[in-house]
Amino acid sequence: MAMESELVTADMVDAAEFGELSERYQVYGVPLTVANDKARVEGGIPEPLFIPQILNGIGLKIPMPGQ
Amino acid sequence: MALLKDSDRAQLQKEFAQLTNPVKLIFFTQELDCDYCPLTQEILEELTGLSDKIQLQTYNFAIDKDQVLEYKIARVPAIALVRVETIGANGASETRARDYGIRYYGVPSGYEFASLVGDIIDVSKGDSGLSPASKAALAQLSEPLHLQVFTTPT
Repeated sequence: MAMESELVTADMVDAAEFGELSERYQVYGVPLTVANDKARVEGGIPEPLFIPQILNGIGLKIPMPGQ
Repeated sequence: MALLKDSDRAQLQKEFAQLTNPVKLIFFTQELDCDYCPLTQEILEELTGLSDKIQLQTYNFAIDKDQVLEYKIARVPAIALVRVETIGANGASETRARDYGIRYYGVPSGYEFASLVGDIIDVSKGDSGLSPASKAALAQLSEPLHLQVFTTPT
């Protein structure tokens, strides 16, 4: 996603190493993706579902596959 | 002692044979208060030894403030992946680093290691591998999107 858009930055964070950050975002299961500090997507989700979930989570209106 | 087994090294060298552009791993470390920095450095040194297209540049998080700001590094150990591109031709060519905004925080071991290897290949090729639908969806972004993906090594 970061490669496709200059607006996207992607941090891969080792939750175990950065406990304070994990606590702040209440990471109880991994993988957990946090978008702009507000949207959360839990679990490993296939790309066709993952990207709309993230984008809709930050306020865009992207149709989910099959809609 | 080597961290990677010989069989892993051979497998990785085979995968890295498909690299096109050089990739620079920009590693931010510090000497004090960073339990995982030495291990991260060892892993990165082994990786760079597997392909002449993988380069390592190391900065000190506490000292090299310009680079910390340039790459917006928040904590250590950190790795920024950039694609080395050559512009122009013949005598007038120069290289530049293309930063896609991909960062790794923490030791890239276990699942993260596989992810880093995949990212090195994608960044080298300059191809995200995303579907046309995903690309179209991302093209609708008008504001910055900061993703933080929390994982654990196992």
